[in-house]
Amino acid sequence: MKTKQTLIERAAAMPATTWHFLNMNDVRIEIPEDLAIAPKVRVFEPWASHGSRDEFENALADAQEAWELEHPEPTAEEQRARAELLEAEADATYGGTAQSNYQVQADAIEEARSLSVAFEHGMGDEVAAYLRYAAEDRVVISAGPGEKVNAQVLVSSVQGGVSVAAIDVVADEGSDVELSVVVDSEQDAAANAGADRASQGLVGTTVRVFADKDARVRVERTQALQEGFTDIDDMGLFAGDRARIDVRQAVLGGSCAYAGLAGDLRGSSSRIEVETRYLGRAEQVRDFNYSLRHHGAKTRCNLQANGVLADKSKKTLRGTIDLVRGCKGAEGSENETVLLVDEGVHNKTVPVILCNEDDVAGNHGATIGHIRDEQLFYLACRGLAQDAAERMFASAIVEQAALDAGSAAAREAVVRLGERMSPGFAELFEGADDDR
Amino acid sequence: MASSFLLSCRGLSAAADETPILHDVDLEVPAGEVHVLMGPNGAGKSTLGHVLMGDPAYSVTSGSVEFDGADITELSPDKRSRAGLFLSFQAPVEIPGVPLRSFLRAMVEGRGQKMKNKEFRKKIKELAQTLDMDPAYLDRELGVGFSGGEKKKVEMLQLLLLEPKLAILDETDSGLDVDALSVVSRGMELYREQCDGTLLIITHNTRILEHLNVDCVHVMVSGRLVAAGPSGLIDEIDAQGFERFELDNSAE
Repeated sequence: MKTKQTLIERAAAMPATTWHFLNMNDVRIEIPEDLAIAPKVRVFEPWASHGSRDEFENALADAQEAWELEHPEPTAEEQRARAELLEAEADATYGGTAQSNYQVQADAIEEARSLSVAFEHGMGDEVAAYLRYAAEDRVVISAGPGEKVNAQVLVSSVQGGVSVAAIDVVADEGSDVELSVVVDSEQDAAANAGADRASQGLVGTTVRVFADKDARVRVERTQALQEGFTDIDDMGLFAGDRARIDVRQAVLGGSCAYAGLAGDLRGSSSRIEVETRYLGRAEQVRDFNYSLRHHGAKTRCNLQANGVLADKSKKTLRGTIDLVRGCKGAEGSENETVLLVDEGVHNKTVPVILCNEDDVAGNHGATIGHIRDEQLFYLACRGLAQDAAERMFASAIVEQAALDAGSAAAREAVVRLGERMSPGFAELFEGADDDR
Repeated sequence: MASSFLLSCRGLSAAADETPILHDVDLEVPAGEVHVLMGPNGAGKSTLGHVLMGDPAYSVTSGSVEFDGADITELSPDKRSRAGLFLSFQAPVEIPGVPLRSFLRAMVEGRGQKMKNKEFRKKIKELAQTLDMDPAYLDRELGVGFSGGEKKKVEMLQLLLLEPKLAILDETDSGLDVDALSVVSRGMELYREQCDGTLLIITHNTRILEHLNVDCVHVMVSGRLVAAGPSGLIDEIDAQGFERFELDNSAE
């Protein structure tokens, strides 16, 4: 019997839509209604870094004041000149036709001159609100000026439940924050291979990051859930002058995994780097939505996704880089490498570069396909036939995630997943640290 | 009747995209010997190495290849590898997403060798040290961001790990500095010592041969083997180049 579902339509929507028939502008998320709210979250952070509940909002309000000082409201004359320019552009480009929905919305956001209005969640407001509600409480990690903070949040799946963490990171001027988020099914969780998709539970995180001037924030999120669970990974980032935010995601387990990340590169010379590694196998679904808006001059962003898709897995990646008016000298790039191991996989990638400024650079690229002939020959020269080579690629992505894990908990979670996928996997890492 | 040579090709001709490259090549390499294949650029030396390994980019238009008593002309490259043939690449390919250690283990497991993980880790760590390789490279993606020298060291590491019956080294010495060259030479010597391996070395650089007792030198010009002789031929080529062989070949 199918349980009643709560549907979130148009989640993780890309800012500027493409053809609807491609069915990739957004995603529809089904949440069984009989799931109980049951957050199972453990936080490891220094006591001193425990921030107040409204710290993020306060930081954004302070940044708003500073931003307004640097960007005074245009004079009436400037506004008139701007309106005339827009009108002339519209006439020249569209013959006077109406703007697209995206343009109208984007203009409204810019004209609001509000950092909180411009702040976005990668999964969209509706999903973020649901996750905040399900989290019940909020973890606030705060680093004072010049401070260094290292924190870890472990979110465990709950059978028949919704286990969510809402996390705010507020990094003051010149501070350095490292956050490791591990989303995992614990060791004693019953094996449920082949279970009805999404029927076992939902696990998620909604993370907001405020990086003030010269701050450095690194967020590593590792998802190694057991089959049957749905994962929602929502992030919203704000980068002040010369701030740098690095996000590293590993999406390896669960049945359906939705990840949405939105970033506002507001400060000049700020930088956001996103590196995603994913594995899709069996009938797993992976959906990614990235939206990075360059507001500040000389800002940089880089999206890099590497994945392997096997069996009948499905993946969609929407990556939007928006070079907003005023971001002179900005550069954004997005690149994806997907290895399709089986013919039954379903892969969609839509890179979008939006540009409303001169003197900027936007690059995108995607390498999608099977193992290249020269790679296949090289591997064959070492005794690996095509099927063995493909198996190696699928397991290598899990091994690499374990090797690159930034914390012991992340590594343990990945190793547990590897062991579930392929008994004996854990042995590969026993005593591995001694080799280093 | 099977030949007494470890490797034997007879009347081997091969083409790439219907363009003939190798012409009627006869080559015999007995087990335990060191053979050197020399020739000017574009002579077809690397092509011969790839054809012997079964590279699908080339098609054998006539002739046959025998290895270890079996006709392998139609055998796929992975089966040739498991039969004991090894090709070290002039430009080893990069395999993003696959840690070197995972690749090495898949290689060993693909041969049905049962090696405990602890034993495997110890073995590759020792080999890395022998070849002056930072063990940190073992956790890096295969070839990605490696220098030319590191890539060649990885080739040597694979050679020593697999201990094939015959190794074809395709310009393994190209582009290496003096230090890396001595490490590669050490790898070749170790291979010879450990398993009495047989070598077919494709090279332009006589320096890499200094510590090896070369049994036979073959000269290839325009896709044909035009001369063969003892190691003294290396000195002659070193002093006079390939002009004599090229003239002889064009006269024919």
